Amino acid sequence: MNYPFWDTQLPYGPLMGLIAVVHVFVSHFAIGGGLYLVIAETAARRAEDQARLAFLRTLSKFFLLTTVVFGALTGVAIWFIIGLLNPTATEALIHNFVWGWAIEWTFFLVEIAAAIVYFYGWERLSARDHLRIGWIYFAAAWLSLAVINGILTFMLTPGNWLASGDFWDGFLNPTYWASLVLRTGVCVLLAGTYALLVASRLPADRFKTSVVRYNALWALGGLLVTLPSFFWYFRIIPAANLQAATFMVYPLWSVHGSLLFAAALAFLVLVFGCLLPRRMHLSVALLIMLSALGWFASFEWFRESVRKPFAITGYLYANGLEVSRMDAYRKDGLLAHTTFRTGDDGADLFRHTCRSCHTLRGYRPLLAALDGTDPAFIAGTIRGIHKLKGNMPPFPGTAAEAGALADFLHRRTDRRPLAEIYRLEGTALGRKVYEVRCGRCHEFGGFNDKAESILGLTEKDYDDLLKNSGEIAEEMPAFSGSPAEKEALIQYLLSQKPGGAK
Amino acid sequence: MNPVLPSYQFLPAPLWLIDTLHILTLTLHLAAMGLLFGGVMVFFFGRAADRWDSAVVPLIRKSFPTLMAATITLGIAPLLFVQLVFPQPIYSASIVSGWFWLLIIAALIVAYYCLYAAGFSKSAAPCGKYLAVALLGMVYVSLVYSSVFSLAERPDTTKALYAANQAGLAFHADHAHWLLRWMHMISGILAIGGFFIRLAGQKDPKASEAGRRFFLGGMILAIVFGCAYLLVPAGVFQAVRGGPALWTLTLAVLLALAAMHLSRNRSPLWAGLFLFLSMLGMVATRHFVRLALLEKHFRPDSVPVSPQWVVFGLFLVCFVLALGTLYYMTALFFRATKATSK
Ligand code: HEC
Ligand code: HEC
Repeated sequence: MNYPFWDTQLPYGPLMGLIAVVHVFVSHFAIGGGLYLVIAETAARRAEDQARLAFLRTLSKFFLLTTVVFGALTGVAIWFIIGLLNPTATEALIHNFVWGWAIEWTFFLVEIAAAIVYFYGWERLSARDHLRIGWIYFAAAWLSLAVINGILTFMLTPGNWLASGDFWDGFLNPTYWASLVLRTGVCVLLAGTYALLVASRLPADRFKTSVVRYNALWALGGLLVTLPSFFWYFRIIPAANLQAATFMVYPLWSVHGSLLFAAALAFLVLVFGCLLPRRMHLSVALLIMLSALGWFASFEWFRESVRKPFAITGYLYANGLEVSRMDAYRKDGLLAHTTFRTGDDGADLFRHTCRSCHTLRGYRPLLAALDGTDPAFIAGTIRGIHKLKGNMPPFPGTAAEAGALADFLHRRTDRRPLAEIYRLEGTALGRKVYEVRCGRCHEFGGFNDKAESILGLTEKDYDDLLKNSGEIAEEMPAFSGSPAEKEALIQYLLSQKPGGAK
Repeated sequence: MNPVLPSYQFLPAPLWLIDTLHILTLTLHLAAMGLLFGGVMVFFFGRAADRWDSAVVPLIRKSFPTLMAATITLGIAPLLFVQLVFPQPIYSASIVSGWFWLLIIAALIVAYYCLYAAGFSKSAAPCGKYLAVALLGMVYVSLVYSSVFSLAERPDTTKALYAANQAGLAFHADHAHWLLRWMHMISGILAIGGFFIRLAGQKDPKASEAGRRFFLGGMILAIVFGCAYLLVPAGVFQAVRGGPALWTLTLAVLLALAAMHLSRNRSPLWAGLFLFLSMLGMVATRHFVRLALLEKHFRPDSVPVSPQWVVFGLFLVCFVLALGTLYYMTALFFRATKATSK
């Protein structure tokens, strides 16, 4: 660990997600909007439709202010944030892809300049030159997507690069093309929805009807490209990534959520865009925007979460630890490799191994989950952390370091017995004991279900099982609860029917 | 056993090539930033709205958002290259000042929109407020950049600051170091702004006079603060004395003096060229000073080189094409203006 860890109260996952989604939502519009402007301008010029041209001009001002300023700066914001949150990942990406980024930058230069010339050129330039600038804008914007797409998809599916280290293996990785088509569809879709938003403010007349219908077709067209390519993309994601996410709430939710949003979007655009265009009020247009945002946000969320526990699949963990150096960390200890130490080893270990995904209290709180346990159990859990539900990276330190981290956490937990904290007794207490001390690795009817070997035993068997629990697996902590908790746990397990337990 | 994986600790082109690109793009960024930031300062402190000819004022005001776009776009490349060559010092320093660093983005967004608001505004009245906010935003950004990049030259200070505060609320503790550096920068920026206003306001004697004053004043201040920066913070003078920095600095100072002289003789094009070359020399000096200060901790030439020539070639092709396209578009734009104004 060469870097300090930026330790704030912020929930990093959602923070990163928020900025990324905002940026992506604006930057995809920046591309699709360019295409929309030139195509609509061509048609309007041909028809000498002055009203339409005036509409496009308004749109282009809105476009300039959103894309050149907000789009560009939120892009820079993502770069700043990943540099703060995961400098190692940023470093690895920049070393491998700096020329890719440099190429993207040349497109970006052209894109920004073209957007400015296009906006200020409505009157100065001839129709032909103005359209040319528009096409240059769109080409540059789309090309910059084609470049950044390579780096984004690389993080989820580095493919052959893991063996070869070759730029092109990483760049044109397995999900590159599907993602490019998907994102291009999203650009077109967003162009339609943004244009609907601007058109919704028009007075309800024939002109509005035609503009709204036209924009609705863009939105639907984009959706038609996007949905099939999403399934294509989904099918290429390696089974290992998907499998790891099987029991996770968010990835599953986000896939289903994204389809719901897409359906809502299609419905609203069909009804208010195609059938009742004059009723396309601002509120409806906003609702359409929100569904588009919802659909795209859940897709991005899904993409981020199936990558867990990695920042770069198979290469670098989300907490910034390199897969290739895990043996060295385990042998020498993580602290021996930590450049920025603060004097509090437990805290340093927490920061570098857990903090990127957890807070102590607050977002994904660790302490609440460990209340009423003991240092030995926590240390055992840490050593087997990659076996818990949650796709966590393995703990990279020595046993002593696991102990130091466990002490750090334990000192901050509620140290009363579980019975007192939760005011439970009997099998209800037993269920809690199971949940806290076993259930995070073996969920009945869920994650790593061990009902078959755990349920349906006798009291004596349970007693033996718990007594010898330290020997079952290296990653499994021995049972270290109090005799009362043990008793309650056994009562609970006896009360559960094999097979039918929940 | 861990799998054998590709290392990321390599440079995808020879170091000299990356350094050259870095120095060149950083100078371009500073030039654009000087036009913008310095221009706004001169515009603001020269009380353009009250004093200058009304025809020149909106013209200059309208150029600010575009200059901002240029500044930001040209800033991306050098930041990319400097992170490539000095990952450890740079990321670490920005994390230690994490909150300040992140707020740069917010300050930029606010400043940018204010410049647009001032640019689009038809009357002069509310512009002062917009420009003042934009100016504050830019002052903030420049302060944080000076502090973080000078902190990045002091790995030991970075470590000590982090041990005391992990929340990203630490600011570079060696105040002389970053403040003098900032004041030197800001004076140089003021000079460039003066130069810009002088050129852009040629048709208005008051504007061009204000530009001239700020140019000379900025230059003198830059020399004063530059000397202070050289002498006061520990290590800087030694870093300059021993190495190539001495030559680049001498050259840069001579070029700057030449630019001052040329500007008196009313040959702005030459003066501008010398000014730019002088900045190139300053940026190179800055680069060598950083190398010298970091020498004990980190040497970029110890990082293995494994060039990606094909991708680099592609970059060069794209870059040339981009420059061509930029030229084509600006030419179209300005030719058209002439045509309509006839
Ligand atoms: C890559 C991100 C990541 C890292 C790093 C990480 N965790 Fe987790 N952790 C998760 C996720 C995701 C969950 C599951 C939350 C859920 O099920 O909703 C989780 C769950 C847990 C739980 C169970 C919490 C509960 O309420 O059920 C514990 C305990 C835990 N983690 C401890 C740790 C410790 C200790 C570390 C550091 C050694 C760590 N985690 C590092 C992502 C991470
Ligand atoms: C930190 C994670 C963790 C915790 C907590 C944990 N286990 Fe396990 N357990 C494992 C691992 C790892 C294995 C090895 C098999 C596997 O990988 O699923 C295992 C295996 C078992 C097995 C053998 C079953 C088989 O079919 O392989 C039983 C029984 C078992 N655990 C019971 C328990 C009970 C009871 C508790 C609570 C007191 C508990 N475990 C807590 C990780 C854990």
